Amino acid sequence: MNVAVDLVDAVRAAVAEVDDPELPGVSIVDLGLLEALSVDADGAVSIGLIPTFSGCPALSLITELVRAAAAGVEGVRSVNITFLSAPAWSVERISERAREQLATRLTVAVERDGRAECPRCGTETVERSMFGPTRCRAIHRCPGCGEAIEVMR
Amino acid sequence: MNRWASTEEFQAFLDDGGIVEADDEMSDEYRAEVFKFIELHANSELMGGLTERDWIPRSPGLRRKMGVLAKTQDEIGHAHLLYMVAADLGVKTRRQMLEDLFAGRSRFHNVFHYAAVTWGDQVAIAYLVDAAALISQQAVFKNCSYGPYRRILRRIIAEEGFHMRHGEEMLLTIAEGTTIQHDLFQAALDRWWLPALQLFGPDSKPDDELMRFRIKSEPNEVLRDRWVQKYAPLLTGYGFTIPDPDLRHDPDTGRWEIGPIDWSHLKATLANAGPDSARRIGNAARHWSDTEWVRDALDAVAKEAA
Repeated sequence: MNVAVDLVDAVRAAVAEVDDPELPGVSIVDLGLLEALSVDADGAVSIGLIPTFSGCPALSLITELVRAAAAGVEGVRSVNITFLSAPAWSVERISERAREQLATRLTVAVERDGRAECPRCGTETVERSMFGPTRCRAIHRCPGCGEAIEVMR
Repeated sequence: MNRWASTEEFQAFLDDGGIVEADDEMSDEYRAEVFKFIELHANSELMGGLTERDWIPRSPGLRRKMGVLAKTQDEIGHAHLLYMVAADLGVKTRRQMLEDLFAGRSRFHNVFHYAAVTWGDQVAIAYLVDAAALISQQAVFKNCSYGPYRRILRRIIAEEGFHMRHGEEMLLTIAEGTTIQHDLFQAALDRWWLPALQLFGPDSKPDDELMRFRIKSEPNEVLRDRWVQKYAPLLTGYGFTIPDPDLRHDPDTGRWEIGPIDWSHLKATLANAGPDSARRIGNAARHWSDTEWVRDALDAVAKEAA
């Protein structure tokens, strides 16, 4: 049995428990923020994260949460977290599970090929403003049921 | 789409925990109350966003600047969503709501009628006012009968919770700082304690329509007390003095009791005659008229496309 591989899996599982601070119930791993994870023989963890948008104000909090999660795993001696400038984040990195959670719990849609569907009725939405409450979200309107919807872009 | 034979049947639906959607039938009274509530919230997000924006160039350091930028975008984004939902109720168009706001004909929360003159004020707003707003919003979200508003509130609450963590971090920095920082926040606390307390409004009347329509689920005094019980011990614990000579901690009950509240300020403030109301509304109105050409251009493009 390879102990190092087990530790990598354990740290990955712990990091996956960290939710996006502004999207409760949605893991940062499912949102595609985790790009690199390694553990050396001494239990030193290196984590590479990708911000959704540069200048995202949640980065320091996410770092803190990820650090705490990784440090809590038995066998971990140190945690080093860096934000990578490449590859760039895009909505393609969001997992199907996160898409489902965003739609059902938060009524947030995710763009696919430049389009978004209303989480409530499935109708294709129409952009009303490319500026939503955060940099990664635009405001759309559903012509079907009339809902005001935030769309991750 | 739900229809009702009578207002009694509609009220029974509400009493049963029913959720009203935009295209459902609703009593005129309900429509008017829900609209008024969401319009007030939307106006407050917009005016709050503009207040926040004043501090983008003046923030102490890049990290705080990012925080203020993000908060500004959050508030304006919330206003945008809320104006859409309010307009859908068909009482006023979005343009009418904005024009009423900028002409001083409608209301926004009392806390945005005061000047934020120092960084200490910004910390007090982030720490105390945002927390008060969050407590109110959580209570509305818990049992709100109007579906479109409730769904937006869920996301707003997640973001406000994030603002609150920022506020806590800002307060910790200043509380653990120099005497100058301590005094800066104490002076801000002296200015903001009462307005933050009054954000909850006076005690609810027993026949409060907002409660009957399940827009609010808890009376104002309960929410206000929740806030006092949380923040009075924290602030005094950090070594600050709460500007209420009657405030005391009852060792038997463990509760913090506050003195009588002078509501005269609140009445004037909500009539748009608060300490900084004229300047704030004037600034917002000026931005609205300065950007008329953008709206005209967008309208022209839309007309051409049609």
